[in-house]
Amino acid sequence: MKRQLIAAVGVAAMVVGVAACGSDGKKDDAKSGSSSAAKNFDGKTLTVWLMDGSAPKGWEDSVKADFTAAYPGAKLDIQTQKWNGIGQKVTAALSEGSVDVLEIGNTQTAGYAATGGLLDITKDKADLGGADWAANLNESSIMDGKQYAAPWYFTNRVVTYNKDLWTKAGITTPPKTLDEFSADLDKVKAVPGVTDPLYMPGQEWYTYFGLLTSEGGKLAKKDGDKWVGGLSSPEAQKAFETFKKLQSHSATAPKDKDEATPQQKDVFAKGDIGAIIGLGWEVPKPEEMAADKIGYFPLPGATADKPSSVFLGGSNLAIAQQTKNPELAKGFLKIALSDKNEGLFAAAGSIPNKTSLNSKVAGDFAKAALPASANGAVTPNVATWSNVENEPNPVKDFLTAALTGDYAAAAKKADDEIAKRLNSKQ
Amino acid sequence: MRRSLIGRTWPNAIAVVLLVFFVFPVYWMISTSFKQDKDIISRTPVFLPLDATLDHFDKAVHADNFWTYVTNSLTVTVGAVLVSLVIATLASFAVARMKFRGRKAFVLVIMVAQMAPWEVMTIGVYMISRDNDLLNSIVPLTAFYMMMVLPFTIWTLRGFIAAVPKELEESAMVDGCTRTQAFLKVIFPLLAPGLMSTSLFGFVTAWNEFPLVLWLNKKPDSQTLPLWLSSFQTNFGTDWGATMAASTLFAVPILILFIFLQRKAVGGLTDGAVKG
Amino acid sequence: MAVHSDPVRTQSPGTGKAAVRTPGVIAGGGAGSAPRKTGRATGEPGFGARVAPYLLLLPATVVTIGLLGWPLLKTILLSFQNLNKRQFIQHLTEWNGFDNYKEQLTDSEFWTVTGRTVAFTAVNVLLIMLGGTLIGLLLNRLGKWMRLALSVALVLAWAMPVVAATTVYTWLFDQNFGVVNWFLDKLGWHSMAHFNWYSGEYSTFFVIVLLIVWMSIPFVAINMYAALTTIPKELYEAARMDGAGPVKTFTAVVFPSLKPFFLATTFLEIIWVFKAFTQVYLINHGGPDGLTRTLPVHAFLEGIGAQRFGAGSAIAVLTILMLAALMSYYFRIILKQEDEL
Repeated sequence: MKRQLIAAVGVAAMVVGVAACGSDGKKDDAKSGSSSAAKNFDGKTLTVWLMDGSAPKGWEDSVKADFTAAYPGAKLDIQTQKWNGIGQKVTAALSEGSVDVLEIGNTQTAGYAATGGLLDITKDKADLGGADWAANLNESSIMDGKQYAAPWYFTNRVVTYNKDLWTKAGITTPPKTLDEFSADLDKVKAVPGVTDPLYMPGQEWYTYFGLLTSEGGKLAKKDGDKWVGGLSSPEAQKAFETFKKLQSHSATAPKDKDEATPQQKDVFAKGDIGAIIGLGWEVPKPEEMAADKIGYFPLPGATADKPSSVFLGGSNLAIAQQTKNPELAKGFLKIALSDKNEGLFAAAGSIPNKTSLNSKVAGDFAKAALPASANGAVTPNVATWSNVENEPNPVKDFLTAALTGDYAAAAKKADDEIAKRLNSKQ
Repeated sequence: MRRSLIGRTWPNAIAVVLLVFFVFPVYWMISTSFKQDKDIISRTPVFLPLDATLDHFDKAVHADNFWTYVTNSLTVTVGAVLVSLVIATLASFAVARMKFRGRKAFVLVIMVAQMAPWEVMTIGVYMISRDNDLLNSIVPLTAFYMMMVLPFTIWTLRGFIAAVPKELEESAMVDGCTRTQAFLKVIFPLLAPGLMSTSLFGFVTAWNEFPLVLWLNKKPDSQTLPLWLSSFQTNFGTDWGATMAASTLFAVPILILFIFLQRKAVGGLTDGAVKG
Repeated sequence: MAVHSDPVRTQSPGTGKAAVRTPGVIAGGGAGSAPRKTGRATGEPGFGARVAPYLLLLPATVVTIGLLGWPLLKTILLSFQNLNKRQFIQHLTEWNGFDNYKEQLTDSEFWTVTGRTVAFTAVNVLLIMLGGTLIGLLLNRLGKWMRLALSVALVLAWAMPVVAATTVYTWLFDQNFGVVNWFLDKLGWHSMAHFNWYSGEYSTFFVIVLLIVWMSIPFVAINMYAALTTIPKELYEAARMDGAGPVKTFTAVVFPSLKPFFLATTFLEIIWVFKAFTQVYLINHGGPDGLTRTLPVHAFLEGIGAQRFGAGSAIAVLTILMLAALMSYYFRIILKQEDEL
């Protein structure tokens, strides 16, 4: 079941460019050989914080084995952190120096880099295999030209559909454009017993974010040295019209809730919902709906040549500035990011940090997600971005307000709030 | 005195309605923890989980470090309650029964202490603990929980002591008891309901506390059950079944404590001396 | 000097039964102990008696200063600092004078939230005290088994973890899967079948208030019942002989006897409701559109959630000042009552 939770996606976005850096398939074999052998690591402990559900099965064991081999005598203490109150915990841990290496969502990384809590690892990038990291995936780890974290793993949302219902509706091939998609949803709606052809709550802002990117819009832009919100732009309004049309297929999905309350996979599991737009683990348990009854395709674009853009979420690994074991911490990063261990993410259905590993990506979901990730997009990579995602998230409130009322007023209000938060003092 | 049939029936009728009102959400929590996932979110409510499952309990109990959390929670909570009872009994006796300079000031301090916004003061508490090397230990946690319940305990016990007729105490003293003896033999036994309600309250407060332990203790060996209780929520939604199963288990010690105290204290109270 | 073994003489004939019971208590634990002095209740208090209260208060005072006073002082100091993630992680101290306070006090939202919190508290406390008192009186009137059943129901509600209770209430009132909407629909009120309780300020507050009242009443009711049992039966009988009805009995016997109880409980409830965070926050995160934000939720979202700890501390200090101001009238009553001791 760990797979269900893979990935710290709810955060984060990044452009996965079509072509990343070269993939010469270089083997970096975790063991840093002579340099570490000369040192004595007896009694040293490296504390690593990973988020609940991030590491796929077997990853931790594999990393531990490599670590023990490379640093005999040192202890690796991997602590799985729960989500509730994580922002406070991370801030506290960085302030007290009780963590050496930690996972940080990619939209949060710039914020923590700006606090001075993360170690600058620019010099170590090459040694960590950084030359091969997909540049667009690495973008969130960089601030002011310095490398503060290493890209770890990524994912994005696709349309997850109920094969039985779609077959009953007489649909044989996945839609290639948004118009086709809408027409298909109408057909599914006509199937007896279907409650909603698409279940998409009004505050599913990740999908809106993707549509906005497709239109060439941005949530915020820099104007001089100030940030301004971008929801009042014509692109944003056009994207919203598409979003509204999609959402209109969701008669029972609340307009003022997001996809987590209730979890959309639980609603989808009822069997009377045609489709949801979700992540790889947002699927019912096998005993509720067999895996072969579930199909995936990327959300189509306006034209058939490419799918809609997506919000690309993911996690980075960073070293705490106050770590007492920088050498061990860097050694751990190298092991964690080795092709062997990073490949486990690909095999589990996430997008790895190097395009050279994309061939290892496995699973129906991941195969649908990968092409869409080529059109992935980032939230602005600024220190204050995490402020915008703090509750109450103005983008979510904007969607509810615009779905139920006047667009211009909702957009203006959200733009003001986004600007206020982005421009706030650190 | 005889009452008419209606006069005897309506209190029971109201009691039944109230009973349902108070129990239903609790029942919903417990029954949900036995439901299959498909029945938890259901367009037609499932009132009786006929195809019950223990999966959620299984998941809750087999969470990492569960038993460490149980031990820590019990230690911290019981410790906080007992210490606060001792300190509060001393203080409340002085406040309720003695005249001295500064008494009003003390009462005022207790009232203000009762208003302390702990949720936000957590930051201050954390910084103090961090700078004095008190993190990841259950002793400071116990001390702060004790402080959270202390004002209430003093406040309530003071009321109970004040409610004991002075004459009882005075007559004991006339009969040759010292003040201390009069307290131990006359007042203290009559404090049973007060001790019961305050320790229950203290227990519930300390047992449920979340923000402070989140900030102070980041190592599993010093963490408590509320962190476990919230661990079934993620950024991507909540595992309702496991959360409800965990909540059900989480409430059990409080119920046991109540049943235990109910017998000892309320039972003693009903035919106790004060009732006269 | 041995403890007297004859029944304690009681001043009022009304406590006759107590006289029968108490000897057992007294003889029970006291044999062998030797009182140093008798009849201290009368006459000039000695040095020991003058120091005694301070000694009794010493532990409470010490822990209050150390465990509450210090953090409170720290919070006040933080409220004059610009303390965000950066300063926090790097242990920096950036004083910024009254900036945090200015920011709050000139923010119209802060005042809206404050007014809303006061009204919210008033409504809740009124309902809790009224409901709790009535249920306490009812408990006193019920037969043994029914009383036990209702007490257990009350304790169940009270013992339910706040997070669980809030979660269950959110479900019960869910738009599509909620029992309440289903039930109203079954009762024939079909327009409620998919009613969204969280779409409006007042309907959201309805759910929050119901939840808070539900979980607060048990405390008042059970204590009320416990307190009622301390009222001598003779007082009721005397009232009855004077021909008093239930209302008159309440105002003439119950209320005066339990005045301290009412004062204390109301005081506690005001504070608890005013500070209620989890319930208000988890039901709808202060939404829709911030319309159900109360001060603690505001402090959390602005201070802790947004990790602007200086601003959060300022709101906390303002909250406590506000509470103290609201309570000043109440303080006076309590302190006056202290005079009557």
